[in-house]
This record gives sequence, structure tokens and C-alpha cells, in this order.
Amino acid sequence: MNAIPDPIRAGLARGWKVSGGPHGAPPEAITCDVAIVGSGAGAGITAELLSAAGLSVVIVEEGPLRSSSDFKQLESEAYPALYQESASRRTADKAIGILQGRCVGGSTTVNWTSSFRTPSSTLQYWRDHFGLADMSDEAMAPWFQQVEQRLSIGPWLALPNENNQLLRTGAARLGIPAAAIMRNVKGCHNLGSCGMGCPTNAKQSMLVTTLPAALDRGARLLVQTRVQRIRIDGQRAQGLECVPVALNGARAAGPGTSITARHVVVAGGAINSPALLMRSRAADPHGLLGARTFLHPVVLSAATFHQRVEGWSGAPQTLYSDHFLEVDAIDGPIGYKLEAPPVHPIIFSLTVTGFGAEQAAALRQFPHTHALLALLRDGFHPLSVGGKVGLRSDGSPELDYPLNDFVMDGARRALLSMAEIQFAAGARTVTPSHELASPYATWAEARAGIAALPMKPLLTRVFSAHVMGGCAMAGSPEQGVVRPDGNHWQLQGLSVHDGSLFPTSVGANPQLSVYGLAARLATGLAKSLTGQDVRLA
Amino acid sequence: MKRRTLLQLGVVGGTLVSLAGAGLALTRPGLRDGRLTPAGREVFAAVARAVLHGVLPAADPAAALQGHLDRVDATIASFPPAMQAELGQLVTLLASPPGRLLLTGLQPDWPDASTSQVQVMLQGLRVSSLPLRLQTFHALRDVTNAAYFADSGTWSVMGYPGPRAV
Repeated sequence: MNAIPDPIRAGLARGWKVSGGPHGAPPEAITCDVAIVGSGAGAGITAELLSAAGLSVVIVEEGPLRSSSDFKQLESEAYPALYQESASRRTADKAIGILQGRCVGGSTTVNWTSSFRTPSSTLQYWRDHFGLADMSDEAMAPWFQQVEQRLSIGPWLALPNENNQLLRTGAARLGIPAAAIMRNVKGCHNLGSCGMGCPTNAKQSMLVTTLPAALDRGARLLVQTRVQRIRIDGQRAQGLECVPVALNGARAAGPGTSITARHVVVAGGAINSPALLMRSRAADPHGLLGARTFLHPVVLSAATFHQRVEGWSGAPQTLYSDHFLEVDAIDGPIGYKLEAPPVHPIIFSLTVTGFGAEQAAALRQFPHTHALLALLRDGFHPLSVGGKVGLRSDGSPELDYPLNDFVMDGARRALLSMAEIQFAAGARTVTPSHELASPYATWAEARAGIAALPMKPLLTRVFSAHVMGGCAMAGSPEQGVVRPDGNHWQLQGLSVHDGSLFPTSVGANPQLSVYGLAARLATGLAKSLTGQDVRLA
Repeated sequence: MKRRTLLQLGVVGGTLVSLAGAGLALTRPGLRDGRLTPAGREVFAAVARAVLHGVLPAADPAAALQGHLDRVDATIASFPPAMQAELGQLVTLLASPPGRLLLTGLQPDWPDASTSQVQVMLQGLRVSSLPLRLQTFHALRDVTNAAYFADSGTWSVMGYPGPRAV
């Protein structure tokens, strides 16, 4: 029996209004002040603030409600239950594998806790290029402070695990500094299983913070319920049309729910939010919807060491380097941020390349394997325009993100940087995640080998865990789907409060950027709807 | 098969399209109701013998393979409808002799192919210049690995001890 109290089960026992899936069919019609699509980073912050203003709130989540007593640290359970498309969401040409959450709490339930304020250089670019005059460090600071306090975001004081230490050791020998990553945790047991749902409730995701606060104030939560479209009457959003869905996303039996609301907040995340607006035939006079969707494309490097590394064990991503984001201008050759991700069996088997004996040899080295990743900062150079969301015939979204030479040049430089750091740290072998790469035994061999690799999509293994953009915020309707206050440029009664707002990639793990921006926008929305000033607990 | 994918096929695609147009019997679907048919299982069994060579247990590999194929079913069942449809089209194509030959070049039928013949075929897909062949390689390999290593009984070969004590 799990001795750790489950705050979600306790809340359900206290009478939280949760319906959908195993919690009973929702009513066929609901009326409320604000309907929120999604239950992730932007939705949770919005739900807490709006309910604090006394508004009646309904939150609609297409994934299931799972909590600490369900989280057994098993990929086989986590990927189908908690992730979009069973953790197998891919871009249209299949070249990029996307990890995105799909459950109550959204991606915050399955992310690796890394918390960075929006970089100053990113905010500067948004002011300069997207008419966002109020997106300054000074203007955003109080919002970051508020959410950092609310979500226990602070420095991780325990010793980084070996997987992270090796990043710092190798980088230091090359004169490259690595710093500590802030994490949204309280009483963390240092397990390393964040990506499968935190079994101890230490991770301060939306699931255990803002959503319980909203539900305790009487907000309603519909789960395993997908918003098919927003009802739009002329120039005004009127509510949501929702249908029950099974765990694999297929339409389930049941009549569905029609929600009528004074205001709709779309917070389903990038890819999903633009797709919803497309299904709803929302006005899009400048063809911006779904365009400029960014991914921080990730390439990986696996190294073997004499000592055990055990990359599955210990808090993930506790050290990072931004050195390669600062070598060139933000709108120059694509830069990249280095981190050390957690690795578990399934994800490791998908990262190593090859099959048969080649793969078996790499897998046997798992306990001695060091994993490094590079997040490419896309969206700032004219040749980095990201991807475009489209709808399949069944209404489901698909992202078409062609990996062009500009981005793949950055991928090559990132593979070189990671190999050099890993050899500097004492690696026996380094194998970039590329179909034509074999384990290199020296930095000289790696440098020559990587320089000769054809950096093509599908030969290079590329992932993404950060989906951004597609409903850009901007100071003019020619550049933005929404205004600087989060309201839609053309439609009344409609806001977007999630990562799809970002006009470029963030250049850092995005959760804190979403929290800070959503806090600012939702506080403004609460004020405009009720006249009240609210803040997070 | 999606139109965009067909357009990337070039010569191979033209031939596949004309086969389908001529109504050549692709009557052995690879998936039915989201589960592998016997024909689909033959495809994934041959692929598993090749991809998992070196990790399949030496003692009773047949039982390990059956367990793996059941997990492939569960993996596919967890996919959303659009992904199931796409994978189903691919497996149906692979399960048919003309599709298998055109897409992969594998001469013998799946149950008759040796592990090394399937491995040579997979390597050809892996480094092909045709996007559809690269995509086929990744689909077959990734589904195989994700399904196989979902089971805790497969972890000892990787030296993974399982979930952390809470």
C-alpha cells in the first residue's frame, strides 16, 4: 500500500465536481462564467485566479485524471495514459518525435521540473519584432516572482546525479560553465521518475497546486472530454461543444456536453489550441493560425563511461549550459542549450540507433551510459520559421515541421559540442543519435565522423519536448492571433493562455514562461470580468 | 496511404498506386479493429526476430516472441485512430507479397525469411534515400522496441533495476 497521501483522491472524497470518463457522464448542458480548454500550465494558473475572483469556471480536459497513487514509475503505463498520442506524436514527415502531456495537469504532470524565466534576449526580440512593448524583464518580474512562490520554484540544493555531473565536468575542462537549474519541487525524493508522473507529489505541477485550489472553490472539471469546437456567433465566442473520448482519443459513447460561457479561455497547448480554433472556423484574416509552431528540436548524444552513470536515477536536468546560445546573435546561426535528460528503458531504446546486435550492445551499456541533449533555439532567424499545424480528415491536428538545412546545421554543431564535452569528461565512446554514426573512441574520430554525417531528417534522430507557438501574441493583427492582453484580435469573449502564444521559441524550457504569462493575462481577465484584483495563493 | 506520402514515393509510389488501382488483392489486412491480424503478426514476428536479435532470451525465444506480439497489439491499441489507420495501411502493404517486395525488397514471405535476410532488408530501409522507406524502418523498429521493453522481464539484459523505492 502506498503510504503517501494522494491529494487528488482526497479532493474527490471532499466532493470535487469532476465528471467524464469513470467519474460519470457530464451533464449535456452547462452554463458558467468562464470555460477553460485544457488543464495544463496556462489553464491551471488561469483557473486558480479566475475562481479566486468568484467566477464560476469549467475546465475541459481530453485526457484522464491520474494522480500519485496511479504513478508507478512505469513507462508502459505513463506513455499511453499521460501523453499525447501515447508519447508517439510525430511531425508530418515522421522526422520529429514529440513528447507532450495529455492528462489533468497537461505537460506539467509529466515534465522534468526545469524552471527558467523567459530569457532577456527572447523578451527583447519580442519587443523589437512583435510589437510587445510591455514584455520587458521589469514588467514580467513580479509575475515570475508570484508563480515561483506559488509553485515552490527554487534552486535544487542536493548533489546533481552522475548524469548531470558529467555535463559540468566535461564542460568545465573546456572552459564552459554549467549552472544549476531551478525546479518546481517541494520535498523531492530525488527519484528521477518525473516523466512518468511524480509518485510523491513533490513536483508542484498544476495537478497538485492550482487545479485543487480551483476545485476547492467549486470549479468543475470534465475529463476524458474533448472540445470539438468553440461555438462562435458572429464575432463572439459563446461556449464549447464537447464530446467524450476514450483513453486513445477515439470518440466514446455518450451524447456530449454543450457549455455556454461569458468567456472562453483556450489553453490546450501548442498544436492542440490552433487546431481547435481551426475546427471552430475562427476568423484568421492573416493566415497566422497554426503557423510559426516551434519545437526546440532536440538532438542527443550517448556516451559510455567506465563508471556507472544510471541515468534513470536521481533528479533529472539539474545542471545546464547556455554557452552555445551566446556564441552568436539570437537571430544568427541557430544556438542550443545543453541539458542531461533522464533515461528509462523504452525511451533509451528509441534513442539508440540500429537494431539487432548493434542495438543490443548499446542497450547492455545502459548503466554506464551518459545522455546529453541539445535544445535548438528555433524561430529567430528568417530561415527558422518552424512548422504549420493542419487538420486531418478526422479533425485531429498534425504539425508539418520541415527540418531544413539551417536547423540541421545547428544540429551538427550541437552533436560536435556534446561529443567534445563527453570526451572531456572521460567518455570511453560517444555515439551521436544518428543512423550512420557508430561509437567513436576519441574526440578526433568523433569530430571527423560527425563532420561527415549527412544531417538529413529521418537519418538524424530528432525529438521535441517543448511545443510552442501557433496562436502568436503580437501588438498588431497582422502578426498575432491574440493581443498583448491575451484576447483574440478578431473575436470577443475569447482568450488564449498557453504556450501557443509565443511568437518564437522561448530559448529555455518553457513552463515558467507559460506560468508567468498566464498569471499576467488571467489577472487582467479577472479584473476586466469582475473588477477584482486577485493573486495566486 | 496519405497523398503526401504517395507523392514522396516516386517510381515505387507510381507502381504501388497502379497496383491498388488495378484492384490487385490487398485482401489480407494487417490490422483489424486496432489489433494485428495473423498476417500482421507474421510481419511483426519477423521484424522482432531481426530487431531484437541479441536481446531475445536464448531459452524459449518463441514464448518471449508471443508475449512481445501481444504487447505490440497493446501498443497499437493505445494509438489514436489516425495513427492506427496509417500504421494499418503500412502493415497491410507489407503483409501483401507485391507490397512487401516493392517497399522492402524482401524476397521470401515473412515467416520464411531468415533473421539475416530480414536484417539486410531493414538496413536497406534504414539508409534509403526514399522517405517512405526511412519512415517504414522507424515505424517497424520503434513499435518493436517500445512494445518489447515495456515488460519488466526484458530489463535485466539492460541492467535496469526497475522503479525506485519510494
